[in-house]
Amino acid sequence: MTRPLEIAFFPEASFGAALNCVGIAQELQRQGAVPVFICHPGFTGVFAEYGFKEYHLPETAASSAAAIADYWQEFTNTHVPHFNLDPLAQLPTYVAPTWKAIVETAMTVEDDLARLLGQIRPDAIVLDNVIMFPAIARAGCPWIRIVSCAETEIPDPAVPPYLSGLAPEDTAAIDIFSAAYQEATGSVHRRYNRFRKKHGLPALPAPLFLEPSPTLNLMLSPRVVRYARDIPLPPDRFVFLEGCVRKESQFEMPRLPVSDGPLVYVSFGSLGAVDTQLIKRMIAVFETIEARFLVNVGAMIEAYDRIPDNVHLGSWFPQPSVIGQAALVIHHGGNNSFCEALYHGVPSLVMPYCWDGHDNAQRAQATQVGRRIDRARWDAESLRDEINALLQDDTMRSKLAVVSDRMQRNPGTKRAAAEILGALTSEPAPHPAGAAPD
Amino acid sequence: MPEIRRNIRQNHLTLAQRILSVALDRGMRRGDHLPEQVFSDACGVSRTPIRSAFKLLEERNILEWRAEEGYFLALGSAEELSATIRDLAESEHSIAHQILSDRAERRLGEVQSVSALSRRYKAPRAAVLNALKVLSKDGLVRQLPGRAWAFQPLIDSPDAAEDSFDFRILMERQAILAPDFALDTQRAGLMREQMARFVSAEEGSVTAAGFRQIDIAFHTLIAECSGNRFLRGSLIAHHRLRQASQKIAPSPEFRLRQAMEEHLEILDSLEHSQFQLAADQIVVHLRRSRIRKPQAANRGIPPLAKGPRA
Repeated sequence: MTRPLEIAFFPEASFGAALNCVGIAQELQRQGAVPVFICHPGFTGVFAEYGFKEYHLPETAASSAAAIADYWQEFTNTHVPHFNLDPLAQLPTYVAPTWKAIVETAMTVEDDLARLLGQIRPDAIVLDNVIMFPAIARAGCPWIRIVSCAETEIPDPAVPPYLSGLAPEDTAAIDIFSAAYQEATGSVHRRYNRFRKKHGLPALPAPLFLEPSPTLNLMLSPRVVRYARDIPLPPDRFVFLEGCVRKESQFEMPRLPVSDGPLVYVSFGSLGAVDTQLIKRMIAVFETIEARFLVNVGAMIEAYDRIPDNVHLGSWFPQPSVIGQAALVIHHGGNNSFCEALYHGVPSLVMPYCWDGHDNAQRAQATQVGRRIDRARWDAESLRDEINALLQDDTMRSKLAVVSDRMQRNPGTKRAAAEILGALTSEPAPHPAGAAPD
Repeated sequence: MPEIRRNIRQNHLTLAQRILSVALDRGMRRGDHLPEQVFSDACGVSRTPIRSAFKLLEERNILEWRAEEGYFLALGSAEELSATIRDLAESEHSIAHQILSDRAERRLGEVQSVSALSRRYKAPRAAVLNALKVLSKDGLVRQLPGRAWAFQPLIDSPDAAEDSFDFRILMERQAILAPDFALDTQRAGLMREQMARFVSAEEGSVTAAGFRQIDIAFHTLIAECSGNRFLRGSLIAHHRLRQASQKIAPSPEFRLRQAMEEHLEILDSLEHSQFQLAADQIVVHLRRSRIRKPQAANRGIPPLAKGPRA
């Protein structure tokens, strides 16, 4: 009797990546594999709640509860104003410092990650992150990359730059953005390449921080929002999924004093929830609309009072099952939220504040599966108009019904699990240590 | 006299909810017979109040009376039964329920006047005052000097839920370890059936609301069996507060079943009089249940376990 394949998932410390991996791991488990999770401090228990074994990266002095609370306080004070800037202006203010922090995290966890992988000795590693960890390339087993941000994460001459929020035809702006990106991230990129070299990995060309896997790369962009690439991605190593929407426990709709009207789900992710002033302004507008609103306010629920009768606040929602009951989703353009809305055929009103949210907002509008709204330039009337227009847009709804049907007939989680198992069983020889060529 | 009549009717409403919970737990469906004796045993009351509660359920078209045969269930699905139980619970104290629900949803400020509540609920002042008295009996509101009423702390935020777990980890363990803990074996047996059915239910069929109903009943049973009157009183009041004000926490199905299995293990130990083991198990169970997702996470930043400071 053959031993089941043990597959170690290593998602970055964000809910999007973590929950994508949960969806794929659930399918792998159904297909006989043994998924386990390597998790960052702070994510303890998130994967165990779904029944998966967890291996924890140790806490460091910098990850003590008090240090983290201070860090977040400073982060909030510094960056919430940056969220109102356009993608170009965010390069020096938000993107470069974030890449610096990501590189530092990768350097900090390297030894512990290598130790954990030596302990687990998995048959494969699934990496859902934006940066490569040398320990993964050197683990002596195949590694698989999940590209869970927007498709722009994998560059192509016909695809606008990652994080730019630009359309392919914005050629002049693309040149300006690309040059500014190189300038903003050049220093941290050089630092990262020195780190790679020290650990035996070849340097990556700017602006890449993560190479494609030589075994398998899973792209989460559904067909409706994909770009026409100049250089097609090799189909033996790149597989496009129709999103990757996990099944969640059934959501029981709370009773609101206002019991009729379409349901609108609002979430800007746990990071977006720190901007309570913005959400309070939005709630004041929601009160004037004949609809019911479920608003994810994350950790900040105690900052709210006098909530209108057509609004319900929550600190956590099983999002895929909530969106399944919604008529509209207002979100930040996180790839999970966007794909979940498409999967259920629900229009998106995207109010991005950073990272690939800009790219998904642009793509939602360009492909007519949603609309983009600028978080710094809306008033009560324009927000109300956008919401009402999307709730009444039958043309968009018809288009989304076709998209939803295709996605539901080709569930990304199942396909991902099958591709991972297929790649592993057809490629028994592990990669030699350090060999992870681009 | 009207007060006595109201109390009797409220008792029947409470019993009616228990009857439907038993029917739900036993997987009963439309057309199933409800024998009086079976429900009398299950609810631990005589047949007379069962008959009155059946009658009340018949008036609401939840049961159907067939001459010389008895009462039969007129609802078709578990969802209908769950919704009906909720409706009955709400109708028991409808204004009180609305006030509490609106406070838990942050629609009402901490201090309220009878006039303001009377306007909001379009109800006579006397009805609002009665509702506030009902809530004050459970310690949920307190009359301030003058005419204002103040809400007491509810379990209405992640931090309040954290405090609730801290309290329960201390108190529930002690409730079991206090001398003269005496398990109500009849109720424990019924709970075991309910919990075992939950654990073995089909994938996709269990809900967080269904879990919470059993969870609160189980932890209340432990409180009620404690030999220490003060632990007993504090914990029963706290579980009532959980029932009244705590939002249903969505959890993955795996964790709901796992938590129910932990209940069964605790019950095993209590039935075997292994109180130290049961006390340790309840601490492990509560510690597992209190693990919180990070409150904020973003690439490049260590996840935040608690909310940013205001």
